Amino acid sequence: MVEFTGMPSLWQTIQQAMRLDQNIFADIQRVPGGLGIALIIVSLAGLSESLGQSVILFINRVRPRRFMLALLITAASHLVGYLLWTMTVWVVGVYVFGQTVSLTAIACVVGLAYAPQILAFFELTPFLGNPFSILLSLWSMVAVVMAVQMGLALELWQALLASGLGWAFIQIWRRTIGRPIYALGRWLQRRATGVPMEFTLSDLSLLRRHRAWPENLGNWRTRMSQRDLRGNVGKLFKREQPRA
Amino acid sequence: MLETLGDLATYFGIVLMGLLIWAALSPFETLGWWAGWFGEKIYVDNLPSDGFVRAVRDDSRGYILFLSGIGRVSGETFSRREQGFLQRLAVALPDAVIIDDIFPYSVNNLALTGQPVFARFWRWALRRKIDGAALAGNLINLRNVLQVLISADRRYSPIYNQAMAEVLLHGLLRYNYDVNRKTPIFIVGYSGAGQMAVGAVTYLRELIDAPIYVVSLGGIFSSDPGLLAVDHMYHIYGTEDWPQKLGLIAPGRWPLFAASEWNRARRQELITLLNIGPMCHTSTGGYLDIKSLLPSGVSYLDHTVAVISEIVRKHTQLPAGSNSFSITDSTSVQT
Repeated sequence: MVEFTGMPSLWQTIQQAMRLDQNIFADIQRVPGGLGIALIIVSLAGLSESLGQSVILFINRVRPRRFMLALLITAASHLVGYLLWTMTVWVVGVYVFGQTVSLTAIACVVGLAYAPQILAFFELTPFLGNPFSILLSLWSMVAVVMAVQMGLALELWQALLASGLGWAFIQIWRRTIGRPIYALGRWLQRRATGVPMEFTLSDLSLLRRHRAWPENLGNWRTRMSQRDLRGNVGKLFKREQPRA
Repeated sequence: MLETLGDLATYFGIVLMGLLIWAALSPFETLGWWAGWFGEKIYVDNLPSDGFVRAVRDDSRGYILFLSGIGRVSGETFSRREQGFLQRLAVALPDAVIIDDIFPYSVNNLALTGQPVFARFWRWALRRKIDGAALAGNLINLRNVLQVLISADRRYSPIYNQAMAEVLLHGLLRYNYDVNRKTPIFIVGYSGAGQMAVGAVTYLRELIDAPIYVVSLGGIFSSDPGLLAVDHMYHIYGTEDWPQKLGLIAPGRWPLFAASEWNRARRQELITLLNIGPMCHTSTGGYLDIKSLLPSGVSYLDHTVAVISEIVRKHTQLPAGSNSFSITDSTSVQT
């Protein structure tokens, strides 16, 4: 277990952040190793989130080796998202609310707010994963508001406003200046996966894995006699790419 | 004492976390199949016919696919009650082909005892279960329950149910099913396999242009698009069978969601609910129990066989049996 001077262990820090303990959000800004802890938490959350979102990789039939590479790239993109959040919260705190706070301190508390996302992997759980993902989103939102409140020393309503402004800035950035960066990220992912990544979860109900079956079934029947059926069933199955 | 309680809580937490991680990893088999990680093969156990079940019949008038409950580890029927049930069904329906060598909790019909990584573990669990140890049997049940949940989860169901449809078609073709003759197909889903049966119909319908009926025997299923794809579904249940009510966890099964597949299928009269007596879900007093008797003196097993064989006869126009009765839309069936 990693121990940092003046802080509980990494595991206890994660637990307290998940419990939305205000003290840990305050403490992490003051200790020398706080940023390191924040970065570890963000990395763990990024890996968990990328696993939790890996269904899209399977839908697009990414091969195992490239699957691992794609996971790492997705996890890395979460780090970029973390930096964006940090910058946005700092800019809102300094220029909108006139607070005097270092970027490092903001980076520490925003990183802690990622702690609930360490459980994002459990979104994969069948049947229960969907309601859990909703719970996790709400949990993370509360964690972000707490991080903003403790990091910028704001009142709750100010923290809510600051979080909302931060979210709005990110949405605007994504659709304007940030578009080339997101495009680069998608290009990198396509290069890593080796497939076009053309399908999403919403396409799944339209995809068929062996679409040639109906045609094959008719042709196959005219070629095979009834006696040959049991021995030749396997020839009917051919590998096909999924098509909508 | 507190230390002991604390230790207990810690162990419980570790076990719970382990189960949750197992649950979260469970869809990877289905997803990996879709992505082509495990090849294209559909596995077959190559079980010989006993003269009743798994017998190839020319000019069969109906094909019955029996999908067993969550206690299975392979396509082989170990349960003597199930063996007895299927043999009696074969006697009652001599013109039907009865197929029971399908393992519905695998995307490619691969038995748990044949898996490349965990085969030894599952063989150990099976041996322990046969010897009577409850925990090992519960591990098998839990693993298969997760597959049932995958079939019911909208994120994974298109994948899993497509795979199941292919396995079912593969099973039919192995027993000389002629797709041109459009012989009716009856998928009997026992317990958790009720969901597998219903889920597969949507995609089996695209592969076979024949009537497809689902017979849910104490089946547990969600509100699935397959309910609207069946020609008809019969949900057979006993008054003492509470596990079959677990399907009601799915919000689509609630009357509140009028537009759900379940409620639409009910309104379209695609579903018949059949209360066949005071049977419980399994084992003694269950649908396949030969020793428990109805007031009429008929065993639960024989009554279940009679109900299902009457359903098959109704849709295959086979001659009625000696103890036949009418399957209507009423909620109870009495001999």
